[in-house]
Amino acid sequence: MPETTVPLKLDLDGGHDYVRLVCVLNEKGLHARPAAKLAQAAQRFDSVITIVMNGQEVDAKSILDILTLAAGHGANLELRAQGDDAGQALDALADLFKNRFQ
Amino acid sequence: MALATLTGIPISAGIAIGKAFFLNRSLFGQIPRHTLPVDQVEQEAQRLREAFAKGQAELAAIRERVPAELEEHALIIDSHLMIMRDPKLQGSAMNHLMSLRINAEWALEKAVADLEEAFDALDDPYFRERLQDVRLVADRVRSQLMDQKVDFRTLGSRAVLLAHDLTPADTVELQVDKIMGFATMQGGKTSHTGILAKSLGIPAVVGVVGMEEAVQDGSLVVVDGIKGLVVVEPTEEELARYGDLKYQFESYRVGITKNCHLPGETIDGYRIKVKANIELYEEVAQVIDNGGDGIGLFRTEYAYLNRVNLPGEEELFENYRDLADILAPRRVILRTLDLGADKFMAHFGRLEEQNPALGMRAIRFCLRHKDLFRTQIRAILRASVVGNVSLMFPMISGLKEIRQSVNLLRECQQELSREGLAYNPEMPVGMMVELPSAVMTAEIMAKEVDFFSIGTNDLIQYSLGIDRTNRHVSYLYQPLHPAVVRSIKHVVDAAHQAGIECNLCGEMASDPFCVPILMGMQIDAISLNPQTIPGIKHLIRQATMDDCKKLLKQVLESPTVARTNQLVRETIFQKFPDQLSYFYSLLDSEEGPSQ
Repeated sequence: MPETTVPLKLDLDGGHDYVRLVCVLNEKGLHARPAAKLAQAAQRFDSVITIVMNGQEVDAKSILDILTLAAGHGANLELRAQGDDAGQALDALADLFKNRFQ
Repeated sequence: MALATLTGIPISAGIAIGKAFFLNRSLFGQIPRHTLPVDQVEQEAQRLREAFAKGQAELAAIRERVPAELEEHALIIDSHLMIMRDPKLQGSAMNHLMSLRINAEWALEKAVADLEEAFDALDDPYFRERLQDVRLVADRVRSQLMDQKVDFRTLGSRAVLLAHDLTPADTVELQVDKIMGFATMQGGKTSHTGILAKSLGIPAVVGVVGMEEAVQDGSLVVVDGIKGLVVVEPTEEELARYGDLKYQFESYRVGITKNCHLPGETIDGYRIKVKANIELYEEVAQVIDNGGDGIGLFRTEYAYLNRVNLPGEEELFENYRDLADILAPRRVILRTLDLGADKFMAHFGRLEEQNPALGMRAIRFCLRHKDLFRTQIRAILRASVVGNVSLMFPMISGLKEIRQSVNLLRECQQELSREGLAYNPEMPVGMMVELPSAVMTAEIMAKEVDFFSIGTNDLIQYSLGIDRTNRHVSYLYQPLHPAVVRSIKHVVDAAHQAGIECNLCGEMASDPFCVPILMGMQIDAISLNPQTIPGIKHLIRQATMDDCKKLLKQVLESPTVARTNQLVRETIFQKFPDQLSYFYSLLDSEEGPSQ
């Protein structure tokens, strides 16, 4: 289980696709408040950002989508972003995970 | 401030947040549903957008008013704001409106239903319950659409059941899995509602005054089963606070449940059996899941209620046998019928009784109607070949009653032998000690039976001469009254001198302030509702017998209830400061006569 995030740049579709692996470190998992923070942060970027868990891909800008992932403590997620600010977006979101949404 | 905060008696711990649903009141208020002509669709879409915008503005304004020290609550409001802006809610409602050409209220309802499906599919209860947040947000938008505080009467899966009182029959017909909490106007701590709620593990408050006037069907209510409150139409802040409390309580419960299968043993190695009180076969799973050391009290009355005919021997035998079988090798103590004449009017005719609590009930009734009694005793005897069954007689007041009862049991044994029906001749036979007369003669009684079980609910009432369901005097219901503590001690000592076990069933067994005192008396077993077993076991496992004995000594020296309660509170609070708020205590209503 990665303690922090693993930056990983994939060269797909013209180089604007970014993928990050993150782990849910906070004890209660991605419950309402972290989910709100995550969606809020994602909404600041223009890129299309999604979260993948167990093959299920959801919109990172939708708190409801994030909640329906039911990601518990220790869950491994993949963040994907596509767009001009994709790299910055994933940096920002990965920081949230790393800081346990504090 | 909430619209109203009503007080009652907390009976089953936990927090429920949901829509009020009055039993026996009409429930469905209609959400308008109609289709639209093509030229009105855009106008309706605009109405929906505005409702969302207004709802957001309303929430944002509330968010602004949250004081800085309540930042935690603000975060919940933030998440509601996020939900309100979420494409999955507003976008989906808009899609329904446009594609189906339906009115905004209906479209919103459909969007919520879509989300319901997504959330209901989740395994984790925390995430599943976030649907409640979605509903709260949708309600806010809907109230904008309908331009009023609407009462939403659809009984969804988040109902809080309100009733005058609940009967066993109600509980059979209700889909209890859909009910988040109970609040009733009638009832005391030992009422059926409470027993039921505890066995289902859902929050409940009973004896709530003024509920019918203050609560509408569909009102948003919080049932605080820890403090005994019903909060009607809470504010956003109150709701946030209760959301937190609910989360904390549930986390605590998960924590203690993990360890509930460990023995109820003190740090210094003293073991106390922690058993369950139940009345339904269905509750067995709860007993096992919560780590109960068997059944200390099986209330056998249920099979006799809500029916025209009396149950026959075969039916009872099968019930008891199944119970013993599934719980084996755990011990199951079956208490013979503890009902009054009023319950059997159809069969035995009505008795005019001025005071049924002091009247023809329990063992007195059974000894009067020996055929009924014999049928039950035979059924228990026959079930005793399976598992680990014991029998006990309720409300024994003196030597004559216990001897009559035991003689009847011997007769039944002889009959069974003659008929070639198997029974266990060694089945332990005990008696309930719940009358002051039995306490005073405990040394004599101990020679007649294999075990005692102290029924504290009745013992307190009969010792102190009060009816605890009577609001005017219920403040006198004092489990740590010196007379009660001394009575219990006397009975435990008498049992041990005679070399028999002493059990205790009654609400005291689930009270964190009383249990250490009982432990100090070296009680052999306590028996309580299954839900409370993990918490009480957890306390036992953190205590030492040494401390319990010291506390008991101080309690016995204390001349007044007030002094005792203060002493016990201080001692226990010091020991378990973080856990006590999750229990409700019998000591909480000590102040004085209510108005």
